Amino acid sequence: MGSAALVALSLGASNPASAEDYIWSMVTNTAGLGDQGFNDLAKIGVEASVEKLGGKELVIQSANKSQLVPNLKQAIDSGSTVTTGVGFGIRDALTEVAIANPDAKFTLIDAVAVDKDKNPLPNVASVTFREHEAAFLSGIAAAMTTKGSRVGFIGGIETPPVVRFLSGFEAGLRYVNPDIQVSVAYVGSFTEPAKAKELALGIYDLGADLIMDVAGGGGRGIFDAAKSMGDGYWVIGVDTCKGQFAPDNFLTSAVKDVSGAVVLENTKAAEGSFEGGAVSLGLKEGAVGLCQDNIDTLSADIMAKVEAATALILDGSMTVPSNEEELKSFQPAGD
Amino acid sequence: MSHLLTISLVISALHLALPILMPMLGGLISERSGVMNIGLEGMMLIGAFSAVLVTYFTGSPWLGLVGALCSGVLSGSALALMTVTLRGDQVVASAAINLIGAGLTAALIPVIWDIDGLTPSVAKIPSIHVPFLEDLPAVGRIFRSLSLVDYICFALVFLVWWVLFRTDAGLRIRACGESAESADVAGIAVVRTRFFAVVSSGVFGALGGAYLSIVTLDMFQASMTQGRGFLALAAMVFGKWRVWPGALACIAFGFADAIALRAQILWRGIPHELLIALPYVLALFALATFVGRASGPAGVGKPFTRA
Repeated sequence: MGSAALVALSLGASNPASAEDYIWSMVTNTAGLGDQGFNDLAKIGVEASVEKLGGKELVIQSANKSQLVPNLKQAIDSGSTVTTGVGFGIRDALTEVAIANPDAKFTLIDAVAVDKDKNPLPNVASVTFREHEAAFLSGIAAAMTTKGSRVGFIGGIETPPVVRFLSGFEAGLRYVNPDIQVSVAYVGSFTEPAKAKELALGIYDLGADLIMDVAGGGGRGIFDAAKSMGDGYWVIGVDTCKGQFAPDNFLTSAVKDVSGAVVLENTKAAEGSFEGGAVSLGLKEGAVGLCQDNIDTLSADIMAKVEAATALILDGSMTVPSNEEELKSFQPAGD
Repeated sequence: MSHLLTISLVISALHLALPILMPMLGGLISERSGVMNIGLEGMMLIGAFSAVLVTYFTGSPWLGLVGALCSGVLSGSALALMTVTLRGDQVVASAAINLIGAGLTAALIPVIWDIDGLTPSVAKIPSIHVPFLEDLPAVGRIFRSLSLVDYICFALVFLVWWVLFRTDAGLRIRACGESAESADVAGIAVVRTRFFAVVSSGVFGALGGAYLSIVTLDMFQASMTQGRGFLALAAMVFGKWRVWPGALACIAFGFADAIALRAQILWRGIPHELLIALPYVLALFALATFVGRASGPAGVGKPFTRA
């Protein structure tokens, strides 16, 4: 009896807020909502947290970099239970605010917040994804779908996550067929669909029949190019399933479960088990993978190969390269 | 090099040049009448958005195009009201159009479609078949990729040149741009002429925006014009406020962009940041060296008040 009362008391102490008082907040990076990526996914995570845990949501958009710090402070001043910051670009602002407010809890998506001594901050759950593992699986699907010997890759700007997608994708291609060439091109912006389309048409013109799209919102131009080419021309997306943009040309996506990560950290905070520090999520945690919406349209051969590779990655006998250096020395394991 | 210089490069360059060429014509008409219009970027965004909005609700991209042109009349009238009728500062007024264009279109997407940043796909203007031309060897491919809007755009270049430099109306517009006082003394209705010219520039800006959203693509994305309204002004200065040299400058921009994009595909590892900046570096270099001093119409930027 006594111990049960004690447990109830300690739970109450670590969890002072009742469900109605929770405020699950997020601050977008400058790409904002509508990026078909982190920001939109994190918002879904915040909405799901409200549904699962109760309380209210608070979403603050940032139009430019100078608004990041004020927006994060505004979230804390509003009584935010956990404040989620999205994207590499918000890292410095979030680090500054988190050091100044050690009692506030934060989740940082896609970057790690560290103090002066490079130690991860204890009040920030810094979540990064091993997107190269998902890209590896999409590379397998690409190699087994293309009818030619060349595929394309279109990035917005050469940022670290884009490089991880490219490295994993190329390794996946090589795992199936080392002779496939990749045409890599960058648009120079994540909001330039017209140039992304011209790039895609250029790559298809060279005889490729498949392109991986890491061009952000501008990637809609790539889907439009595939649609105009017709059946047999494929696009692989990232972050989210993108079948609605060109159902007949969409092969798969290398998705990452940003919303799931947001819900997970918020749930931990509600249960009083929130701890900060660096968290890396990949295949093992079920946080990255192929798009599930149309997974049944991939052939049995592809799925068998994907499952074999997944097993090799999970048991540690194959490490997917996350940059150009690692890609050079990458040796496909297994069959 | 032979892989780079192909017919598809020409097609790509044309499609990249036209959304700069149309606002360039708009800027040219406006400045020739004596009103500086740096608001083309905003007018393009409003035009691109209106085209998608009307196409979405009517299902017809042609009605969408008409909607875009109407939005150009509105944004042009707003600028003309501020600068010509009320004699406000032309730079400040057209900068306001840019801010409104970028902010309003981005803010209306979630209001209308309940999603952020990008609209759903809409019908787009189809390419048309021209018998004989499209059967030509090699260049036939170019004609197969063109829509009626492309032909209209080509015709408009000629039309603007002809009106501005071969008709009385054009002479009146240019007179207002060189010296509004002299034009007034000669019996030209300066306010009415400038108002018309600024409204036309809005229509050309909107057409450039609609070209991006429903001819090249099939949707609107917030800030999708990416500075083309300003590039158009650069091309206008490049051509020293003349139609054909200005049009050539736009086509040169189109080719530079197309080459920057295609060279990446062909040669892996080529420094892409440098390539993407190349068109702008070339433009700066040309302006600083052989183009020489570019001076616009003498009356640009000066509001007209009858003494």
